[in-house]
Amino acid sequence: MDIQNTQSQMRKGVLEFCILSIIRQGEVYPSDLVDRMKAANLHILEGTLYPLLTRLKNAGLLTYRWVESNSGPPRKYFVMTDLGLEFYGELERTWNELADAVHTLTQPQGEAITTDEETQPQP
Amino acid sequence: MKKVININFQGRVIPIEESAYDMLKQYVDSLRKFFANEEGRDEIINDIEGRIAELFGESLKKGNTCITDDVVNGIIASMGRPEDFESEEANVKSQLGGESKQSSSSYNFTEAPRGRLYRDDNDKLLGGVCGGVANYLRVDPTIVRLVFALIAFGAGTGVLLYIILWVILPSKPLANTVSTKRLYRNPDEKVIAGVASGISAYFDIAVWIPRLIFVLPLVTGIFSSIFRHSFWWDGDPFPGIVFGSFGGTLFIVYAILWAVIPEAKSASEKLEMRGEKVDLNTIKNTIQEDLEGFKSRAEKWGGEVGAKAQEFSKEFTQTVTEKGQHFSSEVHYAAKKSSFGILKIFGFIFKAFFLFIAGIIAFALLVALLAFLVAGVGVFPLKNFFLEGFWQNFLAWSTLLLFLGVPVIAFTTWVVRRIMGVKSGNKSIGFSFAGMWVLGLISAAVLAFMIAENFDARARDKQEYTIMQPATGKMMITVPESKVKVYGRWFKMDGLISMTDDSLFLNNVRIHLVKSKDSLFHIQATKYSNGSDESAALRNIKEMNYGINQQDSTIFLDRGFSVQRGTKFRNQGVVISIEVPVGKRIMIDRKVQRRLNHFSLNNGRNDWDSDEEWNDYYGWDSDVEYVMTVGGLERVKDNRKIDKVDNSDLDNDGASDAVEEFKKSKEELKKEYEKMQKKTEELKKELDKPIDTTQYKYKKAVALEKAATLNISANNKEEQQDELLESPKLLLMKMVL
Repeated sequence: MDIQNTQSQMRKGVLEFCILSIIRQGEVYPSDLVDRMKAANLHILEGTLYPLLTRLKNAGLLTYRWVESNSGPPRKYFVMTDLGLEFYGELERTWNELADAVHTLTQPQGEAITTDEETQPQP
Repeated sequence: MKKVININFQGRVIPIEESAYDMLKQYVDSLRKFFANEEGRDEIINDIEGRIAELFGESLKKGNTCITDDVVNGIIASMGRPEDFESEEANVKSQLGGESKQSSSSYNFTEAPRGRLYRDDNDKLLGGVCGGVANYLRVDPTIVRLVFALIAFGAGTGVLLYIILWVILPSKPLANTVSTKRLYRNPDEKVIAGVASGISAYFDIAVWIPRLIFVLPLVTGIFSSIFRHSFWWDGDPFPGIVFGSFGGTLFIVYAILWAVIPEAKSASEKLEMRGEKVDLNTIKNTIQEDLEGFKSRAEKWGGEVGAKAQEFSKEFTQTVTEKGQHFSSEVHYAAKKSSFGILKIFGFIFKAFFLFIAGIIAFALLVALLAFLVAGVGVFPLKNFFLEGFWQNFLAWSTLLLFLGVPVIAFTTWVVRRIMGVKSGNKSIGFSFAGMWVLGLISAAVLAFMIAENFDARARDKQEYTIMQPATGKMMITVPESKVKVYGRWFKMDGLISMTDDSLFLNNVRIHLVKSKDSLFHIQATKYSNGSDESAALRNIKEMNYGINQQDSTIFLDRGFSVQRGTKFRNQGVVISIEVPVGKRIMIDRKVQRRLNHFSLNNGRNDWDSDEEWNDYYGWDSDVEYVMTVGGLERVKDNRKIDKVDNSDLDNDGASDAVEEFKKSKEELKKEYEKMQKKTEELKKELDKPIDTTQYKYKKAVALEKAATLNISANNKEEQQDELLESPKLLLMKMVL
């Protein structure tokens, strides 16, 4: 069993959820998105982000607008659509269930379940 | 020191180092390839390029004068290489549910599943059958295409097979980089053009093996010919080496491969040649290898490093640029939609039909060219009898090789290149072919001129043969059975019967029948020959040996004459003129017509000496008796009957013949009769001897009686003769008894 592989699998599983949650908070430029994820210690290759965003956009979850930039070509700023919000809600519920389950299972027996924190990015 | 170029990137002009530009280009290409089957490929690439442009802008704002390798490397590292996000992608996509189906093929395609045969949608000329088969077999599609083309035009079944496979096989875009090797010429390890080392890279064998295969026949050819030392004829050293059966074939094969196979110039081509997977890392490795090779070479040259290194760096940067261009042109775009309408089908059918027709035309042209070449080679054995000296031999060779051979090779090359889809970016091949052909044309013209020069003058030599006049007044002309064995007749030329290594046997012999000026038969032979001048022509005549023999009233003409080695063919010929006196008859045997080249009878009115119209043919037949009259030759229709009433010359017709014969037989009978009488006389004497007279007296009476009857009936020739012959025997027998 390759530990690194498992780790990256775990990280990547929540990647899309994380991206959507960032966009939900407001219009975002992809490289800013990467920076914010990096700040949260979640590394992603920019090259992976673009196809992902394009796919989400094509699926109707996201939309974008062009913004002129003085340091290069016009930038694409992504925003969430109503469909995207709905989709995000589904994902969030699944995540909460999953987090609860994982938390319950990983806690030593008999200890209180009251400690509720971490992993979930702040809304 | 690095070259900096300006590029237009996402609508901005960006100064960038050339090497950095190549890296960037390769990176974008690799992304394009990676997202080949992604629905929004162009958009993704555009987004990424936009971001890169932005990063470039930031870098330039910081005060950098241009984009360096490091900047590009940094950007690529942060963006990630296709290899890096391959596994990430897989997970991301699987989460997207419905969409994953579509996109999953985009990363699946790199591993063309073996075990199922598809038509390749990515690499196709017509329907992608060959590409699919090649992918299945993991070989170079061009090889499959060549094999198909060979079958198609060799037996016609290939076309059918192709169509069947086209219909049966499902279409699918298959990756063309994985495990497909391509045949390239290897410029790094070359002796002549790198064909052998390219082949060795393709088949993954040591370089010396293909080299040996190419060279061995030549070497053995040279050795064996040294032992035979027979092909150094008349200053003619090429044929044994170049055309020594097997060696020659491989020589041509090498030439064709040289022309057909592209040279592996760029790094990616070199990788393809070795069959390694082409991605950025491996390309980088190869470039590094190149660089190291360059370094070590530069070090070797020590003192000359300055000049040499500059040269090499130039070469290297050139290689890199070309490599980038090649790489991009080699990248196949696979965004093909699986559904195509009726129009597309029609398009395909039309294309197939067109290719088929074009192929047939091309093939026919090739066959015609080959036929010319074969004909040229066919005439070639004769050349020693035509040509003089080194230059003419040289020109003959260049005519054969350049004037006839080059079009064949050029055409084959063109067809093969067409099939292989090699872009004819290199015009020099065409120009060199054209140049060689023009050289061939010139040498053909010069050769023709030189040969014509050799045939310039014409001379003749008349020779009178003494013959015995035939007693019967009739002469028979025939040709003896030939002692010359005729072989190698696959090549036929007017007037030529056979040819051996050192002699040419010609039957350029014609017969003229003319009226004699006196009452005797005369035979004259006039030998003709061409030559560069009068004396040369006469020399050629001297070498000719033509004989005429007589046996009683039959004249035997030689079947032909030979041109010995050393003498040349200069249109030699013999005209035999037979003078027939008026009133005498002549018959030409059928063999003459069959064995001599032209059987032409002059009707006697012409003065035979006036010309040598060898082609005059007056419709005289062989095996027919002719008689010479004052007005010319007349046919004797039947032995007994007069063809034409001719009162002036009774002697000439059939009646006189009969009378003569009759007279002759009468005379003979007389002689016989006299003999018999003598014998009877002797017998009488014996009988008269006085011994027992009674018995013998009777017999004597019988004998006397018989002799008397002979005397009386001397008219019936045959019976008389028989009886006359018989009677003495009878008598003698009886006497013994």
